[in-house]
Amino acid sequence: MSEIITVYSAEVMRRLRSRTFFLGLVFGIIGVVVIIELPQWFDSYSRQTDRILLAGNPQLVAAARPLLAKDFVVAGNWDGSGAPSLEMLKARRAAAVVAIARGASGVRVTLYAKDPGMISASQLRRDLVPLNLQFDAGIRPQRIGALLNIPVRTQSLVAKFGTAAESDAARAVAYILLVLLYILIMVNSQLIMSSVAEEKTSRIAELLVASVNPGALLAGKVGASATLALGQMAIWVAVAWALSASGQGQVAAPSGSEGSGFSFTGISSSDVAGFVVFFLVGFLQTSTLFAAIASLINRTEDLGSIAGPMFVPVVAGFIIAISALAVPDSPAVIVTSFIPLIAPFVMFARIVVSSVPAWQIAASLAINIAAICAIAVLGGKIYRVGMLLYGRTPRLSQIWHAINA
Amino acid sequence: MLTASHIRKEFGSVSAVRDVSFTIPRGSTFGLLGPNGAGKTTTMRMIVGIYPVDGGSITWNGAAIDDRSRRRFGYLPEERGLYGKMKVREQIVYFGRLHGLHDPEIGERADTWIRQLGLGGYAQRPCGELSKGNQQKVQVACAAVHDPELLILDEPFSGLDPVNADVLLNMLNDLKKRGTTLVLSSHQMWQLEQICDTFCIITDGENRASGTLQELRSAWPTRVVKVEPATAALRTVLDRIPHARALETNGALYYEVPASTTYPALLRELVDADAVTRFDAIEPSLQDIYLHAISNPPPTGNAHE
Repeated sequence: MSEIITVYSAEVMRRLRSRTFFLGLVFGIIGVVVIIELPQWFDSYSRQTDRILLAGNPQLVAAARPLLAKDFVVAGNWDGSGAPSLEMLKARRAAAVVAIARGASGVRVTLYAKDPGMISASQLRRDLVPLNLQFDAGIRPQRIGALLNIPVRTQSLVAKFGTAAESDAARAVAYILLVLLYILIMVNSQLIMSSVAEEKTSRIAELLVASVNPGALLAGKVGASATLALGQMAIWVAVAWALSASGQGQVAAPSGSEGSGFSFTGISSSDVAGFVVFFLVGFLQTSTLFAAIASLINRTEDLGSIAGPMFVPVVAGFIIAISALAVPDSPAVIVTSFIPLIAPFVMFARIVVSSVPAWQIAASLAINIAAICAIAVLGGKIYRVGMLLYGRTPRLSQIWHAINA
Repeated sequence: MLTASHIRKEFGSVSAVRDVSFTIPRGSTFGLLGPNGAGKTTTMRMIVGIYPVDGGSITWNGAAIDDRSRRRFGYLPEERGLYGKMKVREQIVYFGRLHGLHDPEIGERADTWIRQLGLGGYAQRPCGELSKGNQQKVQVACAAVHDPELLILDEPFSGLDPVNADVLLNMLNDLKKRGTTLVLSSHQMWQLEQICDTFCIITDGENRASGTLQELRSAWPTRVVKVEPATAALRTVLDRIPHARALETNGALYYEVPASTTYPALLRELVDADAVTRFDAIEPSLQDIYLHAISNPPPTGNAHE
């Protein structure tokens, strides 16, 4: 145990003092700030693209203004005639001039836009329909607006969420946490892989395995990396939490959802606990496997080619988990939520967005913890032998011999 | 006492070590000799537990070697490496910790090693910035900082300039005086001759000869005599020795003679024949014994079998 603690402490100190850890932490914080602030930036930009000027008969413009205000920022009127100049639009920071006129067949609109793609003609048409009804049937536009706005109340049948908004917020939480989970597992597993490769290629491996049990060496490395990854994540989440709490922004909901997104302050403690548990499960599986594989290479340039196939289950797990956000109870998602290397992503996604039976969570954890033990034994054997294999990359038969030694 | 008894190691169809046996008394210094690929490194790796033995046994003080006893061993592998970004002192301290040392003892020992090896000016420098020779000294310190009972050094002198080789030799002598059992392999025979008490020569994974230098010499079948001046009369006397063989004449006469030759009688005969200005009976060097042992099949010439 003291060997593991020694390796663990040394690895922690080495990583803490490394430039890559510092840069990772800083870029992570910058990334969090960007994620938090991005919706606001997009929002402020989209507000600019929604700015319109109205032109035409003053009475018609006055009637249209409240109708258009729902979807556009009416920045004022334009009194000119004919097509406005681009310079005028820029000067008044508007995206378009909406010229409204009334003809024999109803209201007619001419749109003069900097970029016609930014102003939705169908939205304009929908907003101005009450004017046509008013002129044709004599109903007040406000009354027409009220009649068109039929309230719809959504009630989820799943006990976990009371409303569609809550469900969408949970999906947004899961989406963000899944991305974070994937990044943390991949980045830190690759760091372990690089660390092992460095020890192998710098030829310190033999001195190490003569001084310390290879299993303890591997355990210390993985433990240190897991601790630092969780520490890094805690800092990132704390930054996100602080920004959210100070009302700096919301993270947008995934496309296709009705919700407006979520705030980091809305992440539940059970989501955080699930994240930590499934991070540890996924990280221990992936990093041990990556370390074992890295012990087989002789040049750091070979890392990519030998480790490439190992990325497949992790990437697959992430992709399936993203699908699981939409269909958490599909048979394929349920089955994959038990498969090692994939389950940490899929089961976590299911837990956040749906009500997973407790036995399934327990079974998945049991299977995956057993898989960690199996991977540790297998990876430890490969690591022990691989660290001392120099020259050409070992053949599968040699690895098989090593495993059975 | 370290005892290897008929140890064997195979890698698939390749037998790296077929049958090697030796006994190293506690506190003695042992030279493991053999050509490249003889099985020296594999034997050393089996002693420190990197490889399990496939046959035979290795014991330390009569007991099988376990993780606990292994922590009291030190090992300097032939393939050397250090953490390039880690500072010298920090690296030595790290390896001390891996062998179970604690503060403040570990810091004191690291400082002692740094001082002894002349690394004082580099203690706070990253190892990657050091010369190859200095890096090697750091590696030796890493292997020996915990004052091991058994220190195994695979080719410790390779890559060292004569000054640094001398520093290392002195350091090994110090360890020897303190009672550390040393196992060394090297191709620099003269250095091994200086420090080792016993030797084992292996080739093709098998013992070819083992014992003290004296024992190895005793088993050597011939000696070389050097006689000056190189006159015809003296040559005639030497030619009369049964099984004698003239080697070279380079201002002196060199003859290979049977080990059983009686030197006083021979010298008397030479003096009676002509004026002798120099007479040397040259014992075989370790290199002679080594070259003879690896080029002849076992078991002939073994001092201890």
